[in-house]
Amino acid sequence: MSSGKCAAGIAAVLMLAGIAVGSDAVHKELHFKVGKHPMVSINNTYGPIVVKAGGDHEVSVLALLHSDKVELDQSKSHNRVDITTHLLPGADGKSGLVEYEVLVPPEASITLHSDNGRLRVEKLRGDIILAGNDGPIDVTDCAQGHVHVRTLTGPISLTNVHGHVEIMSVGGNVIMHGVSGTLVAVNSNSGRIEYDGDFGEEGEYAFTSHTGNIEAVAPAYASIDVLARSTNGSVQSDFSLEPRHAPFILKGANSLAGTLGKAASSVKLFSFSGKILLKKRQN
Amino acid sequence: MNCLQFEKELPDSLEGARTPEQQAHLSACSACSSLLADLDFIATQASSLNDLQEPSPRVWNSLEAQLRREGLIRQPARPTLHNPFWRWRNAWIVPVAAALLVVAGIKLYQPTKAGDNQPIAKQNVLPARPARSAISTEDSEMMKTVASRPPAQVAAYRNDLDQANAFIRDAQESLRNDPNDIYSQQLLMDAYEQKQMLYHLAMDQSDDEQ
Repeated sequence: MSSGKCAAGIAAVLMLAGIAVGSDAVHKELHFKVGKHPMVSINNTYGPIVVKAGGDHEVSVLALLHSDKVELDQSKSHNRVDITTHLLPGADGKSGLVEYEVLVPPEASITLHSDNGRLRVEKLRGDIILAGNDGPIDVTDCAQGHVHVRTLTGPISLTNVHGHVEIMSVGGNVIMHGVSGTLVAVNSNSGRIEYDGDFGEEGEYAFTSHTGNIEAVAPAYASIDVLARSTNGSVQSDFSLEPRHAPFILKGANSLAGTLGKAASSVKLFSFSGKILLKKRQN
Repeated sequence: MNCLQFEKELPDSLEGARTPEQQAHLSACSACSSLLADLDFIATQASSLNDLQEPSPRVWNSLEAQLRREGLIRQPARPTLHNPFWRWRNAWIVPVAAALLVVAGIKLYQPTKAGDNQPIAKQNVLPARPARSAISTEDSEMMKTVASRPPAQVAAYRNDLDQANAFIRDAQESLRNDPNDIYSQQLLMDAYEQKQMLYHLAMDQSDDEQ
């Protein structure tokens, strides 16, 4: 390493240390012994919550409190752990900020809430309930459980998620890669809905929007039964679908109904005025 | 008896006679008496809805599905939120949401009369809406719960509320054009769900501040 890079590194470390000392930030570490399938709930008004799979019988919480105007309320009863950020008088979005990093057993069921912080969940197999206002929400590599996500304007990203998925958003975009399950339902208002996957598992895929566009990308081998309609928008498909009876009047470029392959999964794409596009994956 | 004690006992007292302590508190506390009046009103409205028309099983199935989606009746039991006070302070959300869904369901299934195979004539398209329309009393109450937040967040809530209301209006308009279209019915259900979520998150937020 050159002397210049070394000096820059030292300066950066000193600067970060200075910020940490000067900001009255406090680290708190909590550990809870739990049994099988524990339930973990974290409510954080301001700040992110990251939850990852850890050991089988322990919940570990590392919290960074950004001031003395905020504290943690914790409770554990039987197999349930509740953590709540408690704002003290005078706390605001800056002084009330708490950053959580949490390790839970892989089969844990979790409930997370943050007004504006990022919610991130990785590699879990239990039920996942996430609620936020405008912070981004990411769920990655999760399977077997229910995944319920609700947000007002925060963007939502689901990657490699399998299970029972329900998402609701007013203005946040919903991006899904490799998502499948018995039910994958997305209800958006103005947010865009993007799906890139194979519509597998003989599931029901229902994407609804008010004004947001809906774009679904599927492989040529997809086995789907498609109904799509946009009341005031357009509907386009790259696929040559086998026509089928539709429970509504098919009106030119506003709707389509057809099947592909064995039509194992149901795909319903409905919007009031958003554009709907069903694309064939290239390659 | 104080407000907290009253609210703790309220679920039981709603189903039976009130104790003298509760009556005394109601006489002295306008907030609790107002809350009780609201709950009584909801209960009365729900009863009258039931008398008006028994919706088809599909309505109940849809309603059950919506409630399950919200995790309100899902098994295993959904983890409750953290603040023990939350359950009661937000308990009104459930009957209100249920009443909204029931009203929506009844509306969806009423237009076509028995023996009448023709859908109701299409309604004229609604006049253009102003960019920001007036909001209902309930919406005003919801906005009050977030009024203490930073102005940008309050504005965001108002914007989200307008979007949810616009979705409901457009879905209702679609239904008027084709009252028997089950997908328009679902669109309206989805629109109401969004508004319910907005209320729910606003109440969550106000609890956080307490």
